[in-house]
Amino acid sequence: MASSSVPFDPRVLKAPHPVPGAPDNWKRFFSFNTDAKVIGIQYMAVALLFLLVGGLLAMIMRGELITPAADLVDPTVYNGLYTMHGTVMLFLFLFPILNGFNNLLIPPMIGAPDMAFPKLNAAAFWLFPLFGIILMASFFVPGGPSGSGWWAYPPVSTQNPLGHFINGQFLWILAVALSGVSSIMGAINFITTIIRMRAPGMTYFRLPIFCWTAAAAQTIQLVGLPVLTGGAVMLLFDLSFGTSFFRPEGGGDPMLYQHFFWFYSHPAVYVMVLPVFGIFSELFPVYARKPLFGYKVVAIASFAITFLSLIVWVHHMFYSGTPQWMRNLFMVTTMLIAVPTGIKVFAWLGTLWRGRIRLSTPMLFCLGGLFNFIFAGITGIMLATVPVDIHVGNTYFVVGHFHYVIFSTITFGVFAGIYHWFPKFTGRMYYEGLGKLHFVLTFIGSTLNFLPMHWAGLMGMPRRVASYDPEFALANVLASLGAFLLGVATIPFILNIVSSWARGPKAGPNPWQAIGLEWLLPSPPPAENFEDDVPTVISGPYGYGLGHPLVEHEERYIARSREA
Amino acid sequence: MTGLPIDAAGERATAAANHGGHGGHGGHGGYNLTGFIIFLCSESVIFLALFAGYINFKLSSPVWLPPGVSGLEVREPLINTIILVSSSFVAWAAERALAQRRLWRFRALWLLTMAMGSWFVYGQAVEWAHLHFGLGDGVFGGTFYLLTGFHGLHVITGILLMALMLARSFRPGNYDGGEAGVISVSLFWHFVDVIWIVLFLLLYAWQP
Amino acid sequence: MTPSPPAQARRFPLAALLLIALAVVADGAVSLWMARVSHLWLPVQASAAAPYVDDLFALETGIGSFIFLGCFAVMAWTLLFNRAPKYDMEDGDPIEGNLKLEITWTIIPLVIVMLIAAHAIRVNDTLATIGSKQRVLGGEQAMQVAGGGQGASAVAEEVGPIEVIARQWSWEFVYPDGTRSAELHLPVNQRARFKFISMDVLHGFYVPAFRLKQDLVPGSVIDYSLVPTREGRYRLRDSMFSGGYFSSNQTDVVVESADGFRRWLAEAARAPLQESPNPAQQLWQDRLAKGDKGWATVPPAPPPIVNVIHDSTAPHEG
Ligand code: HEA
Ligand code: HEA
Ligand code: CUA
Ligand SMILES: [Cu+2]
Repeated sequence: MASSSVPFDPRVLKAPHPVPGAPDNWKRFFSFNTDAKVIGIQYMAVALLFLLVGGLLAMIMRGELITPAADLVDPTVYNGLYTMHGTVMLFLFLFPILNGFNNLLIPPMIGAPDMAFPKLNAAAFWLFPLFGIILMASFFVPGGPSGSGWWAYPPVSTQNPLGHFINGQFLWILAVALSGVSSIMGAINFITTIIRMRAPGMTYFRLPIFCWTAAAAQTIQLVGLPVLTGGAVMLLFDLSFGTSFFRPEGGGDPMLYQHFFWFYSHPAVYVMVLPVFGIFSELFPVYARKPLFGYKVVAIASFAITFLSLIVWVHHMFYSGTPQWMRNLFMVTTMLIAVPTGIKVFAWLGTLWRGRIRLSTPMLFCLGGLFNFIFAGITGIMLATVPVDIHVGNTYFVVGHFHYVIFSTITFGVFAGIYHWFPKFTGRMYYEGLGKLHFVLTFIGSTLNFLPMHWAGLMGMPRRVASYDPEFALANVLASLGAFLLGVATIPFILNIVSSWARGPKAGPNPWQAIGLEWLLPSPPPAENFEDDVPTVISGPYGYGLGHPLVEHEERYIARSREA
Repeated sequence: MTGLPIDAAGERATAAANHGGHGGHGGHGGYNLTGFIIFLCSESVIFLALFAGYINFKLSSPVWLPPGVSGLEVREPLINTIILVSSSFVAWAAERALAQRRLWRFRALWLLTMAMGSWFVYGQAVEWAHLHFGLGDGVFGGTFYLLTGFHGLHVITGILLMALMLARSFRPGNYDGGEAGVISVSLFWHFVDVIWIVLFLLLYAWQP
Repeated sequence: MTPSPPAQARRFPLAALLLIALAVVADGAVSLWMARVSHLWLPVQASAAAPYVDDLFALETGIGSFIFLGCFAVMAWTLLFNRAPKYDMEDGDPIEGNLKLEITWTIIPLVIVMLIAAHAIRVNDTLATIGSKQRVLGGEQAMQVAGGGQGASAVAEEVGPIEVIARQWSWEFVYPDGTRSAELHLPVNQRARFKFISMDVLHGFYVPAFRLKQDLVPGSVIDYSLVPTREGRYRLRDSMFSGGYFSSNQTDVVVESADGFRRWLAEAARAPLQESPNPAQQLWQDRLAKGDKGWATVPPAPPPIVNVIHDSTAPHEG
């Protein structure tokens, strides 16, 4: 690993384009920069801040729930807290951080210099702080933020008790709509980039799985988001302009909103999980030193999931007055998702099998995430079974199920990805010890937090309650303790990221001996990646142990990446 | 080539043009069209959702027309529809004129398209002004104004985009790299037209 | 997917085969045990639906445990025996895939989930709790529509239709003879029919001991029925978020013998109408007394006027 005494070629500092990691160039992170790598880091940094905000809200909620009575905060405040927790975590943490990964990874992975539409990309990013501020502002308007849950089901969401035009719910709809606009801009960009800007020789079946899953996820955004937007506009009109789309008194139907909402928000969970499947598929081969098992099938399974995800939404409405035939139909489609997902799970296990496994921090988070995901998927199948869902739907069983996916799988995968690509995009190595500590605390904390929730739900504890009957106390005490442990677990993470970025050891271009175009670039990669000298890809990804090069003249690229 | 940004610095545009060799695409104009088509697909889903909502209401609402309203007048909107739909053909002719590099013919036809579109918007405004129900009059009022209003917004956007393209046509050398902008806008215009045909069938032709 | 070298497959050692067989048997045994234990995680069974739901849940717990443990065993095995020694930079076996294996693990899950689904559809048909749904214009019209069929309990062995009226945040039950109560009384082992009405927002009728839940949708009157099978007092919880004091919107279902129920109903009919106190009302008064702090909420609807109020201090099972 080449580490010269001068970290950057002095010419770099005079370059008109910002260079990631150049010491005098931190200001670019606060400007309208069109470089995908800068935008990627911007997304990630802001998203991680919002993870702390969403987590802080969760800590207050768990504080309230540690005793059966509603004694810490007023029930109306609790409603606002969990609504904002869900909204912040999904729209201000998870979607943006995954867009951060897309920005950082897609261009280098396919050998493109940047996104297809750099300006659109930057515009999409800058909408994010904007709607973030709008949503945060709702804490300060009279009456407080929206307290109708992240579903915002009418009529509760359109009741507007104080009658002000600007109210928490109004700002909530505005923020979610802007987030949708931003996501659509992003989706157009990512898909166009993947279709049009691949390096020579990079056929679809040589794309890294992360690009496949990103494309599959962004397709969902394009098809689903407009429907949510339609529903949100109608909700806004009901709330603010006196229409009665969802008001029974005017002939409207609250159920229609539920269809609009879930037509998007069910697929949205796969928008969140697919890129993490991508991260798993990238990382398992690296740390098991084996090719991804059944690459082609894993790639295609991504789109099978995309397709199926669009036809299962009614499983969130089994108890809403849905006729029997519809329940049965959507139960069957929902269960089908286990098939392509199972293909992926088994492929990862096949990749581990007879590998040479290295347990560095990213691998630990991947293994933990996979372990939790299998559990979560199985509770998902239980929820898809109508008679079981009729009992546990809208209880803590559901809360347990989805935190097992959304935190214990997806956020684990996000952490894995951050650690894995940290040396690539900062040029510095993180501290392994702190990383492992972070993993251990997070794993114990999340299990303690989310496992007992299933039991509470089976016993009949509804979700979204500020107070509950004493028979659920034990499960809730455990969950709260786990949550506080998760709060503690963020400390080594933040410490690690901040201090390694500032003064971690130099990483070199390819600290993991990984195969992939991004690892043929210097760390951090220059502004336009390979520029004009784009390598010609001659074999599929993940050629561990196969002994053939990924690109033509591979040695030349490797030598150059060390030189920089 | 050292791979450092300094080599390509300042000449992003040239670099981009040179990229044509790899990945098998020619120039960035192609991206614009690809991106725009993806956008239109996504945009059409919004309308699909609103149509689905309308059909659902129409079929299952316990009340439909607000008291005192017997239905919608069809004659004027039908004329409007014919004008809007024919404007699509004019736009197509304009596009062909441009392809043959007959710039003035293009500008004239393009302006005609804009005029027809504007006439449609005007007709819509007149209709709105004479209706005896408002946005708040039951689901019928709500969906009617939402659908026509949202479509009208698209027509206005289309006209503005055409104006932009018209202005740009006076810039020398504007079409040297292809006319992706004009193609995109006229695609958008056809899209808006098709949406209107469905809307017309749903709102005006399918009455109680 | 190039198939793995055939030579390797042929040399598959007997010992490994035995080990796998042993693992599968052990996995099966543990899963069976989990399926048994799963009944302990659930409240008492108090309706005809409960045994079906619990058995289905146990079945899924068993299958789920089997899959989960199987996958976990593979992970554990690789972590124990396939670890790279420190400083070892070698690659593992370059296996790229195995078509037969991939087909197998596509088909087996497909078969499993479709069998579960088929079974669940049969259970659905057996339970058949939800009836027809009629669209109306809000609460007032819903009351008229639901009241239409009153007094006419078609089948002898049935009670109802009982109107279940949900408000922000209280429950009210109107029996066919016009008696009103704030807690629900039902005779055991008879099908009870309901008309679900919401006066304002969405609510959920949820009795964990019955394993049943159904939303009350404003603008619809929903027919519903169930068969309680065990005497006792059970919690009825609002399960669909309904705004400010959602969490306190609870009452009880009292299942009694047929005679007990008849006696209760006759007594209730004679009792004077009175306001039923409810916790939401209490919380709201407390909040006003403390200066109306907190975030916005609509005030609670006036408490229902009923013959029998809800005794929130009585102990409940499940
Ligand atoms: C974020 C990601 C995510 C993911 C990936 C999933 C995955 C799945 N989810 Fe989940 N779900 C959520 C997030 C997610 N969910 C959220 C946020 C909610 C609640 C929203 C709210 O109400 O606020 C929710 C709620 C939810 C419900 C509604 C419950 C209710 O409200 O009553 C249902 C019901 O069907 C469901 C089902 C499933 C299923 C079947 C899967 C499947 O995709 C799982 C498939 C995976 C496996 C099955 C495991 C691997 C497969 C194998 C090892 C093969 C062998 C397996 C078998 C043969 C079974 N989910
Ligand atoms: C990405 C999505 C995501 C993530 C990561 C989480 C993470 C967590 N969630 Fe989340 N949750 C949702 C999405 C998510 N949740 C959604 C969508 C809902 C449904 C909302 C609804 O019903 O409408 C929900 C609902 C929900 C409930 C149910 C509320 C209810 O129904 O009444 C609970 C209860 O315990 C809960 C707890 C937690 C906890 C303890 C964490 C922990 O993992 C959090 C860990 C904490 C941190 C990682 C940060 C710690 C930070 C600090 C300690 C302070 C930092 C300091 C400063 C900011 C200065 N969540
Ligand atoms: Cu520009 Cu490739
Ligand atoms: Cu779902």
